[in-house]
Amino acid sequence: MTADAYMDAAAAVVGLTISAPQRDGVARFLGIAADMAAILDAFPLDDGVLAMAPVFRLPESPPDE
Amino acid sequence: MNDPTGPWATAAEIASAVAGGTVSALSVTQAALARVAAGNAAINAYTDVTADRALREAAAVDAARAAGAMPGPLAGVPFAVKNLFDVAGLPTRAGSKINRDRPPARADASLLLRMNAAGAVLLGGLNMGEYAYDFTGENAHDGACRNPHAMGRMTGGSSSGCGAATAAGLAPVSLGSDTNGSLRVPAALCGVFSLKPTYGRLGRGGTFPFVDSLDHLGPMARSATDLALAHDALQGPDPGDHGCTGKIAPVMPSLECGVAGLRIGVLEGWFASHADTDAQAAVSAAAAMLGKTTDVFPQRFDAAEAARAAAYLITNSESAAFHLNRLRNRADDFDPDTRDRFLAGALLPAAWIARAQRVRHWCLEQALALFADTDLLLAPATPCAAPLAGQRLLQLAGRDMPLRPSLGLLAQPFSCIGLPVVTVPVFAPGQLPLGVQIVAPPWREDLALRAALVLEQAGVAQAHPPGQRAA
Repeated sequence: MTADAYMDAAAAVVGLTISAPQRDGVARFLGIAADMAAILDAFPLDDGVLAMAPVFRLPESPPDE
Repeated sequence: MNDPTGPWATAAEIASAVAGGTVSALSVTQAALARVAAGNAAINAYTDVTADRALREAAAVDAARAAGAMPGPLAGVPFAVKNLFDVAGLPTRAGSKINRDRPPARADASLLLRMNAAGAVLLGGLNMGEYAYDFTGENAHDGACRNPHAMGRMTGGSSSGCGAATAAGLAPVSLGSDTNGSLRVPAALCGVFSLKPTYGRLGRGGTFPFVDSLDHLGPMARSATDLALAHDALQGPDPGDHGCTGKIAPVMPSLECGVAGLRIGVLEGWFASHADTDAQAAVSAAAAMLGKTTDVFPQRFDAAEAARAAAYLITNSESAAFHLNRLRNRADDFDPDTRDRFLAGALLPAAWIARAQRVRHWCLEQALALFADTDLLLAPATPCAAPLAGQRLLQLAGRDMPLRPSLGLLAQPFSCIGLPVVTVPVFAPGQLPLGVQIVAPPWREDLALRAALVLEQAGVAQAHPPGQRAA
């Protein structure tokens, strides 16, 4: 799939319309994002571990009455 | 000692003079408002001036003192807030056109209330990059902020008005936000001090969000002591912020403890290769000074590039999802310089974002391992001094890179993992200011502020009035 085709398909899925004046800029920033994703892919992560940064912690349970 | 009604008085000097009765809060406020009226047009820092409110608050500070009440630690200190903070009666524009259609805020932001409770006096709201997605200080709706040290150059952003107003003597303290470097970049380019605290330290209630998992609020000032005073006044629980821990750890009691015995690493590798020789020289000057009294050594944080990449993708995706309805319905009302990046962020594959969150977790582990034998880290705040207004490209590591997403790349690795960072201003003779980041372990703002004060007292890191750069 070309970058233009991806842009159009993904935009339709989320209900966006990318107008002509926006296309070059959106394509440029999608390219930067792809470069960032490639940097992350190059870092070896343990494929048996899933630890995500924004895990939330629940409050302490209230003391027994 | 500066004249407490003058432009270069520190918050500490003003609060001391007001508490001691040598000057009234009203006199300080009237002088500050007159300076804003006379000087703001040149730098475009303020978007709203709350003069009536300021005069009322100042009169209340004076009345309380006259009635025998203990003055607050910031008694009579004028301050201003980035216009993503709620100010009762004003629409919270967050640098945008779209938000001006929202009803005015019904209450003040949590940190604004804490500043008032400490005796500080609100002067108004400050210019910023649209929805905080900016490192430049440019804004299509309100116009660009101008750097008081070089009017043709960028202030940096997105807390652009904070940098400009604080540097120009139009607010001794300002409050801004930092998601990827938005306090540190303008502090560096405008030559003032900033504190980005640990993620979860200061409450974000009543502010317009950008990226929930990365947003921090904090102060800018013209001295390390003023940062510490503000930090201590701003702490505490905040029911309006689900990320605020409410941890309280005052830094003023230990501020003058110095750096003897601290182990300080100077970050090399990626940080050096993405900074020009002037930015590296600023770090070297700070390291040389600190090295006179403690152990300073080269250090590496090889997760930095990954942390920056993770921060980029999480920011792009999380913020775009937050603005999705605005992008669907009013895309053409966005600043063109943020619009296309937001639109792109709404189209990113979920797998990229999930990987970014895994790498981010791994990066924090790498940083915590580094802090096992290092107390503080030093790094340049920006790759270079203030670029020219309108500049679109930045030459880094031997190649041209787009300026808007790249100016803050040396700041992003630390906000990505929530570490506290103090930025100090370094003025090389005859040159524009640069910033040095002092990075501490989680919850150790005290250590970074101690080092900042040492550098300030030694004359290595000081804020200078515009036109009076170090000779």
